Amino acid sequence: MKYLPLLWSGIWRKPGRTALVLLQVAVAFALFGVLQGMKTGVDRAVAKTRADLLIVTPADFGGAPLPLSYLDRLRSIPGMQSVDFADGFLGTYQKPTQPVFVLAIQPSQLWVTLVPEMFQVLPKDLDALKNTRDGALITADIGKKYGWHVGDRIPLTSTTLQSDGSGTWSFQIVGTFTDHEPGEAGFIVGNYDYLDQARALNKGTVRNFYAIIADPKRAAEMSDTIDRAFGNSSNETKTGSLRELAQQQMRAIGDLNFLIRSVVGAVLVALLFSITTIMMQTIRERTPEFAVLKTLGFGDRPIFLLVVGECLLICIAAALTGLALATGVFPYAGKFVPGLSMPLSVVGFGLIGAVLVALITAVPPALRAARLEVVDALAGR
Amino acid sequence: MKLARQFWALLRMNLAGIPARLGLVCTIVIGVTCAVAVLVSMLAMGAGAREESMGAVSPNRATLTSVDAPSPLQSSIAQDAAPLIRDLPGIRRNAEGKPIVVFQVTVFVQARSKINRAQIGFPLIGMTPGFTDYQPELHITAGRMYNPGLHELIASNKCVRQYTDFGVGAHRHMRGGDWLVVGNFDLTSTVCLVFGDGDTILSAFGRNTYNQANVMLQSPEAFADLTNALKANPSLHLKAQHEAEIFAQNMQQLNGILNFVSYFVGAIMALAATIGAANSLYAIVDGRRRELAILRAVGFNSAPIVASVVSESILLALPGALIGALVAWLLFNGLLASPFGASFHMAVTPSLALLGLGWALGIGLIGGLLPALRAARVPVTDAMRAT
Repeated sequence: MKYLPLLWSGIWRKPGRTALVLLQVAVAFALFGVLQGMKTGVDRAVAKTRADLLIVTPADFGGAPLPLSYLDRLRSIPGMQSVDFADGFLGTYQKPTQPVFVLAIQPSQLWVTLVPEMFQVLPKDLDALKNTRDGALITADIGKKYGWHVGDRIPLTSTTLQSDGSGTWSFQIVGTFTDHEPGEAGFIVGNYDYLDQARALNKGTVRNFYAIIADPKRAAEMSDTIDRAFGNSSNETKTGSLRELAQQQMRAIGDLNFLIRSVVGAVLVALLFSITTIMMQTIRERTPEFAVLKTLGFGDRPIFLLVVGECLLICIAAALTGLALATGVFPYAGKFVPGLSMPLSVVGFGLIGAVLVALITAVPPALRAARLEVVDALAGR
Repeated sequence: MKLARQFWALLRMNLAGIPARLGLVCTIVIGVTCAVAVLVSMLAMGAGAREESMGAVSPNRATLTSVDAPSPLQSSIAQDAAPLIRDLPGIRRNAEGKPIVVFQVTVFVQARSKINRAQIGFPLIGMTPGFTDYQPELHITAGRMYNPGLHELIASNKCVRQYTDFGVGAHRHMRGGDWLVVGNFDLTSTVCLVFGDGDTILSAFGRNTYNQANVMLQSPEAFADLTNALKANPSLHLKAQHEAEIFAQNMQQLNGILNFVSYFVGAIMALAATIGAANSLYAIVDGRRRELAILRAVGFNSAPIVASVVSESILLALPGALIGALVAWLLFNGLLASPFGASFHMAVTPSLALLGLGWALGIGLIGGLLPALRAARVPVTDAMRAT
């Protein structure tokens, strides 16, 4: 305890220098936090997605849609809990540059819990949609973008034509939902029956089926069963669990891991070198002071610990500041890179890193300070 | 004149002092090296992607899509509109006197990655006859061109490298049965491309509309004739875009992410390097307090002192930038990067190295400024007394 004031005055001996070191370490750890947070955020997002939800799509993306009659066949597969489906079409609002995708569903309560990490809807909104054939649910984002409110009627223009040849679809906004997919503010939810009865082509077809299975561990096996069941029909399917899909998407970011590691490596090299030289310089300048301390009876060990302690304190404080900064940047960076988060494990890693940086950089100068010969030091040799 | 002489004297003194303070000097150089190496190698991804996708862009090529389609994938052109489009003005004719118009349909099919066997979608592009007139730079490296009316495909060499079963002679099971890969080709693009006969693919995949019409213009100026003709005929419901515009649109998202990540990480590294440089220079300047005080006492001005310290800082930063660019080039140039589903070779270009040099200049300037001002303000009497 009695060393604390000494430690404190040692740190603030040159306030400008200490402030710069603090800042530099903080910046480096902010970068570490963002990069590492990106990676763990992605990993966790993947682990959180449902493994028991299988998505059934046409085998060739963009090809002919699947017949609705598959619904009963899917439901009859053993191990299946419930099956739902969705279709959709692309329209534009007022201008060709304002695309709005309409997700067409049958408003069953299944949607309340289907994919909460992407799509959240309240039972009362689903009921409202169910009761209005041409109803639509919107997100707050899209409402703000186009000035839509619940109760409004909106026209969308689409290349998906109605039976009478018209490409104009009219929707009555009856409620809201929350969309957690980053960057896409462009979709609304409507009734499948409205779309299917009105459209000229592709009647009785859907884009995807959503199949919930009883045992998530059997996801791969069930996917194969489904694809085999429709194997030699004119509408082959491709099935995968939501988690598998997320993994595929994220694998693309995973390819950046090598780059992220290189960047963190470069930061570390620069940081270690910079702090070591600055510490060396500080100790050199403080040689007479250490000599005085030794004359007063301080041993080698307390002086060694004093120097290491100073460095530890600076590095840990700076690392925490940096990680806090990184968390502050996340809401902004999330617009460009999805899935950022700062789990405690990253903070832990950061702190361990800070302690290691402090020890590596402080030990050589601390040894130098501890081994000073009083006579030489005071004589300025 | 006098100031310039003072400046030179100071700079020579500063540089002569470098060997004595090697640690601090190295800090500046290494800091800048790391910052520039990171910035340049991150930007090399974007540069590589641009080079590979825009490399083959020709001002003579244009694409027609539906007026309201945000991208060609959402556009649709009915088959019976084809004769009307062939008659549009400004379109070049081939050796037989036919207008060079190629209708294109794109469907996405699954392929398996060679590395981890994961399923990845690739674009299967159907082209109507005249494809070779439209894309003369398509270079078949193995096998031959597909024949119209047959289930035959040609795949780019990028597909062969990335995915399984794209070599000549490989069979692929897709809608409508068995397809045979009859050729491999080279074409600059960041993604795997597979071509087949347009109408065969249309019928095999149950489509009744093309996505887009690709036309070869008589000259870049003929683009105006084409757009005017489209405006005069709104029932066609088509718009024309230069090939470069379409490619840039495709690149937009990838470029946005890559640029954001590059400049974000680069800026943070540069900030850290600047702080490190400032700190080292403060220490270097502190070590010279006595000399500076003596020089001030014998009549040296503040301005040359400031200039000499800033110059020293820049002179130390520039080699850092050169080493950094060199490291980036050695480690990453030509390396195959495949972020976000694209695949391309990273390109460390001279312009990127110049950009790194510019950033280093900035780091040196900003990092050197505050220590330089401190050096110029050393109180003469205090400094003389200093130990």
